[in-house]
Amino acid sequence: MLRITGGRVYDPANGVDGVVKDVCIADGRIVPQVEGGRTIDATGLIVFPGGVDIHTHVAGAALNFARGLTPENMRRGLPFVHTKDLRAGLGGVTPTTFATGYLYAGMGWTTVNEAAVPILSARHTHEELHDTPIVDKSCLVLMANNEIVLDLLEAGEVERATHVVGWLIWAAKAYGVKAVNPGGVAAWKWGKDAKVLSGPIEGYSSLTPAAIIAGLAKIVDDLKLPHPLHLHCNNLGTPGNVSTTLETLKILEGHRAHLAHLQFHAYGGNDWGTIRSEAAVLAEYFNTHPNLTTDAGAMLFGDTVTITADGPLEHLLHQLSGRKWGNVDVENETGCGIVPHTYKPSKLVNAVQWAVGLELLLLINDPWRVFLTTDHPNGACFWRYPEIIRLLMDAEFRKEQIKALPPETLNRTALADIDRQYTLSEIAIISAAGPARALGLSQKGHLGVGADADVALYEEHPDSGILFEYPRYVIKGGDVVVEEGQLRNVSNGRQFLVHPAFDDQIEAYLRPLFQKVYTMSFDNYPVEIERLQEPDIKPCA
Amino acid sequence: MGGKITCTLGEVKNRADFIVYWGGNPAECHPRHFTKYTLTQKGKFVPEGRKGRTMVLVDIRETLSAKAADIFLQIRPGMDFEILTILRALVKNQRVNAAAVAETGLTLEQLQDVVDRMKRAKFGVIFFGMGLSMTRGKHMNSAGVLSLAAELNEFTKFVCMPMRGHGNVTGSDMVLRWSTGYPFGVSLSRGYPRFNPGEFSTVDLIVRGDNDAALILGADPGATMPQPGIDHLARIPTIVLDPKVTHTSRLARVHITTAVTGVSAPGTAYRMDEIPLPLRPILASPYPTDEEVVRRIRQAVATKPAWAPATHVTTPFS
Repeated sequence: MLRITGGRVYDPANGVDGVVKDVCIADGRIVPQVEGGRTIDATGLIVFPGGVDIHTHVAGAALNFARGLTPENMRRGLPFVHTKDLRAGLGGVTPTTFATGYLYAGMGWTTVNEAAVPILSARHTHEELHDTPIVDKSCLVLMANNEIVLDLLEAGEVERATHVVGWLIWAAKAYGVKAVNPGGVAAWKWGKDAKVLSGPIEGYSSLTPAAIIAGLAKIVDDLKLPHPLHLHCNNLGTPGNVSTTLETLKILEGHRAHLAHLQFHAYGGNDWGTIRSEAAVLAEYFNTHPNLTTDAGAMLFGDTVTITADGPLEHLLHQLSGRKWGNVDVENETGCGIVPHTYKPSKLVNAVQWAVGLELLLLINDPWRVFLTTDHPNGACFWRYPEIIRLLMDAEFRKEQIKALPPETLNRTALADIDRQYTLSEIAIISAAGPARALGLSQKGHLGVGADADVALYEEHPDSGILFEYPRYVIKGGDVVVEEGQLRNVSNGRQFLVHPAFDDQIEAYLRPLFQKVYTMSFDNYPVEIERLQEPDIKPCA
Repeated sequence: MGGKITCTLGEVKNRADFIVYWGGNPAECHPRHFTKYTLTQKGKFVPEGRKGRTMVLVDIRETLSAKAADIFLQIRPGMDFEILTILRALVKNQRVNAAAVAETGLTLEQLQDVVDRMKRAKFGVIFFGMGLSMTRGKHMNSAGVLSLAAELNEFTKFVCMPMRGHGNVTGSDMVLRWSTGYPFGVSLSRGYPRFNPGEFSTVDLIVRGDNDAALILGADPGATMPQPGIDHLARIPTIVLDPKVTHTSRLARVHITTAVTGVSAPGTAYRMDEIPLPLRPILASPYPTDEEVVRRIRQAVATKPAWAPATHVTTPFS
């Protein structure tokens, strides 16, 4: 039992905005009252629900490929020294699994959603998530280039496709559906891309990206998954792609959807020389369409590595930068590309990208529908979130930063004209309450009675970047894991997944098809539930 | 140079119409490779199977694999890097030095023919073995072949994959990467992972005699190490965990017989394309699993007093 007393509590999901009140914890949950037990004196501290990362890449084949491909980045990672309680590891751009858990918890984040899992290697993703301590986890499976699903959509067999998608989610022991560059990764298997939403995809006679987007959005709604379709749009990262993004949003009308890393999809202009921000246009659309949520995918200057299932995009980036290039095409399902990247404040393109991420966070009015992410590690590493929080909370500081960028940036973005400053309560929404709600995790992101006891206690500081960098205490599931700023108690996290309703007979359809086009036995394909650490199956309703 | 353009084996099965094996003898060393993944399977986009595919074998001698190949290129030993460089030049329509070509054991016509076929392919793949990666040039040869495949993507779809062997070597590589950040050659002597092939890689460490004990799992260095390494393993306390008595067991202080993973012990094995496969036991074994032995050794070690004073240990966020 634990009582946190004297702190200023920010719990926007329950309408609590900086009120000094007690937070009581028993058996890993928030409770109305406790008698006895430990008391943490939180006087002078602010009390936040544990952070929830709705879109990050922390485990699995692609990330592990990136680790192996970039020892020069690992070399510069923060070393984690083996102790009696902690495992050795490295931080940096692509942290090792144990370090990932320590870094998230050490920042006050307690739930993470791994956003891109091939079903064929889902067993590997779960092995890594198993080795990622403290935080609770969920993951999304890649579906928008799965050729079995695509063939069914082309044939108009949406009902059968729905059963297949349900079966595949359960086979991967996943929480939801991710769509990456619908049709584009399938086209990449022939060295092509899918840049026109209404045009047929390479290798198909009539199927279009638009049909995949509409089909999957409907399927996810019909399966009643707690998290809507999680969509990485076509034409990521290219000048003028805002038109593709807007076209995508129109296709999604009437459905729930989450748009991933919107920063990379909000550019105007005709080429790299004329690229400009179209964040205002997208924000306007979002402000009037409550069926949508998004995460910023904000970018910060510095070295990182880009990792995505969007294979053709990474080939383009390799051609542009000339840096080393990794690519893995995954049979019948998806692909993955990796290119190390450096975002430079001196480069106009990068300056525009930096501004777009912040503009989206500032121009979308409803903080419940735009969330704090960097598409780790693509825009920046997750452990740099406090830097973004400072940029959001301090307009003067933000305007100072703009001055260091190429002057032309001012003509290409509207960031310098935005005076909005986030409040602490709004930060709690975009970093915890909002993403938890969008994920459909009702026990996360808030401090109401019955919620998981995931709490971060920060010391007040005029510089919000410093405030959020090192919490004084972090409580995860009722355990005090960070105490006086030190990681002291390492627990295991739970894993969220869903078991959607599907017709069991679908296996009879899938088995012969699978044996024909895959190189693995059908019976070896589904991940055994025993492999998951503390599985927690969420209802689909 | 740098990077790696690859795929899972099903992509080869479903799409590859042009297959190169370089410095390997799959017919004898990976006997199921042709039939399960590459040559004879009927693929989704190669419905005619073997007839729809062209196979090239590059090697220094005519092995059994040459019988399976449409084109056999017998090269002069140790010339892999030079040939790869010439191929990369030809891919980019650069002039090549006739004297350099003459050194390779191949003619310019042969090399140009391969390049033309590579560019004409709809989906090409190069599998390379230790005849490439462990002979003169070593990692430079690997970089050369990986770069050749990457650069061909300016013209068509092309991928590349090492022919890995020795049981679950890929699995070890995967686990080391996610737990330490590096695939091999990792030192934890400072309490955190450091990587330096040549300094920390197993063979270098043992040949130099830097380690004063060895725990050997799933490997038989007593059969493959250079003699100074074998001598060193015999000198120090060496412990072997293996289902069978190996060459290394014979020079070790301790051999612990363990259950065979995949027969009597469960687990995961990673294929050469890094796809994990579940292993399920079919027979009971009187012997403990590797995991159980290692866990019990760890438990016993944990009861010993720390060898380093506590002040030497730092925690993060301090």
